[in-house]
Amino acid sequence: MKSIPKLIRRFVSIGILSAVLILALNIVLLVIYTLRQMPNSYPWQTAAEVAESLRQTKEGSCVLPEDIACELEESDVWAVYIDDRTGQVIWRTRNLPESVPMSYKASDIARLTQGYIDGYPTFTGEGENGLAVLGYPRDSFWKHMWPSWDYSLIADLPKVILSVIVANIALIFVIYAAANFRLLKSVKPIVNAIQALPSGESYRIREKGLLSELAVSINKAADILQSQNNRLRRKETARANWIAGVSHDIRTPLSMVMGYAAQLKENTGLPSDARDKAAVIVKQSGRIKDLVNDLNLASKLEYNMQPIRLEEENMIVLVRQTAVDFMNMDYEGKYPIEWETDEALTVCPVNVDRDLIRRALSNLIQNSINHNEQGCRIYIRVAQEGGECRVSVSDDGVGADEGQIENLNNASHYMVCDASTDGQRHGLGLLIVKQIAAVHGGTAVVGHSAKGGFQVELRLPT
Amino acid sequence: MEFEYLKNKRILLVDDEREILKMLTSILEEEGFCNIATAGTVKEALEEVKRSTPEIAVLDVMLPDGDGFSLMERLKQEEEYPILFLTARGEDEDRLKGFGLGADDYIVKPFLPKELVFRMTAILRRSYKDENPLVKLCGSEIDFDCAEVIKEGKRIALTAKEYEILTVLYRNAGRIVTIDALCEAAWGENPFGYENSLMAHIRRIREKIEINPSRPVSLITVKGLGYKLMTRRQ
Repeated sequence: MKSIPKLIRRFVSIGILSAVLILALNIVLLVIYTLRQMPNSYPWQTAAEVAESLRQTKEGSCVLPEDIACELEESDVWAVYIDDRTGQVIWRTRNLPESVPMSYKASDIARLTQGYIDGYPTFTGEGENGLAVLGYPRDSFWKHMWPSWDYSLIADLPKVILSVIVANIALIFVIYAAANFRLLKSVKPIVNAIQALPSGESYRIREKGLLSELAVSINKAADILQSQNNRLRRKETARANWIAGVSHDIRTPLSMVMGYAAQLKENTGLPSDARDKAAVIVKQSGRIKDLVNDLNLASKLEYNMQPIRLEEENMIVLVRQTAVDFMNMDYEGKYPIEWETDEALTVCPVNVDRDLIRRALSNLIQNSINHNEQGCRIYIRVAQEGGECRVSVSDDGVGADEGQIENLNNASHYMVCDASTDGQRHGLGLLIVKQIAAVHGGTAVVGHSAKGGFQVELRLPT
Repeated sequence: MEFEYLKNKRILLVDDEREILKMLTSILEEEGFCNIATAGTVKEALEEVKRSTPEIAVLDVMLPDGDGFSLMERLKQEEEYPILFLTARGEDEDRLKGFGLGADDYIVKPFLPKELVFRMTAILRRSYKDENPLVKLCGSEIDFDCAEVIKEGKRIALTAKEYEILTVLYRNAGRIVTIDALCEAAWGENPFGYENSLMAHIRRIREKIEINPSRPVSLITVKGLGYKLMTRRQ
């Protein structure tokens, strides 16, 4: 489940990015707006300019240069000049309203600096020996005159700004997370369900929440898959059971054929050609027996119905016992077995199903016997090479040509192949060996024997 | 055939197929067994056991009025004697179940008469000791009762390990016994790494039983695989 954390990471980064962008936008807008407001400080500048420009004539009266006077008049601004010593207005513009007093006390000066005279916003500028006061039209300015802050407020400003930014980002993040959590919550089971589909597990999701329609479709798809799998499984089980049933039912009648034929074969009172015929019956019923056993095991292995019991075993012991069982059954001595394992190798530990491995080995030895009616020498070798336990069973019999070996190594057996089955009718014995190798995580490789015949090497991981 | 003393053992055969019973009887009679009883159902088998306790029983798993596994449990409650299954049920689970319940062997049909006779005799030999256990070899005799070898009129004692090894070889006389099976008989479970000790013991046994130990005729080596004990008749 790698996609959900990826999705969350993506949502979170989008959230943080939008928070940062919004903040940046705010700051830019603030700066632009503030810059545009800067010119509003001009009444103070004008007042200072007026104060500086006023010149006292020799007669003691004051004169404002014409250009400034015109400018003031155009803007409908009045002005007075208050003498420092007397507090009397010693100069004024012509448009001075009557309500403006002509003498001022220190308290009046403080008030007009801070605020208004009769509703006219006033601005002051310091002159040589007096104070110039400009009165702007009513409602042209809103004066806010508390220009004092705690010193610490200014000193902490960077910190304050930083915390504001962090708080902003956090808030946006929380909003984002809350919004996305619901979505993720409804997406997660859907993602899980889709991922579970190929494995064929039964996985139903609640058909509620944001993506309920999607959930309904996925459930439907899962149901269809499940029922198809079940049907397939039932079919396979039925097929394996059918094969098991047939092979079971054949065993009892075959016992009688085999048993009586073997008795006739051993009966010295019979003419020799009758005994030979009995021997053929014994042999052929032996083949039917092997076929029945092989068919049953192959179908079980193919449909995963064969229980596998893995245990730590010594491969040498298993191979040796299987070889000896064959030698003890070889009454005529037609198939001597040579043990070619290095004497120093006495233990070769493998984790295997004992019965299956012995079955595979028996099949290999039986294979050599079946294909060499005139008799042959069988060579068995166990070796430990490259992290594998290798058991090779070879013979000096008729062997097989390149094409046949290629076919045995690569072509599918008719039992596990849905294509045309012409030309692939080799026995089940080798198929079983391959299947057994496969359930142990190993392989079976068919080839030529150095002794001139056929060779199969079973390779199992140790 | 060897082991004549086993021929009188009472054998009980249980199978629902009368034909199979007939065939088994004829196979066993041909081999010299003469005390054979048959039963086609669980009920008949129990009656037969009541009449006379068998010394070995061969059971089918599927019977018309029950199954062989529970029949075996009932038989074992009464008295202990070897029981082997002879059945068409060849699945591993059935085999393991049979062995798990204490069966002495499990043979899947179809079978060769020789195989059945061999396996039955092997079980009988394991279960019933020879009342006259003097085994005749080519150059000597083994007296298992006294754990001695008699060669050229002299009695030579066998050590415990030699005795164990010879017992296993004798039970399988004429057949190869693997090195591993011999080591297990002498040294118990997980008998790895005893191959050399086994070789030493085999050498000493040969010195006791063979006329010419360097050219053995009774205790034969099968290179890399195991050993085989040949009795005089073989």
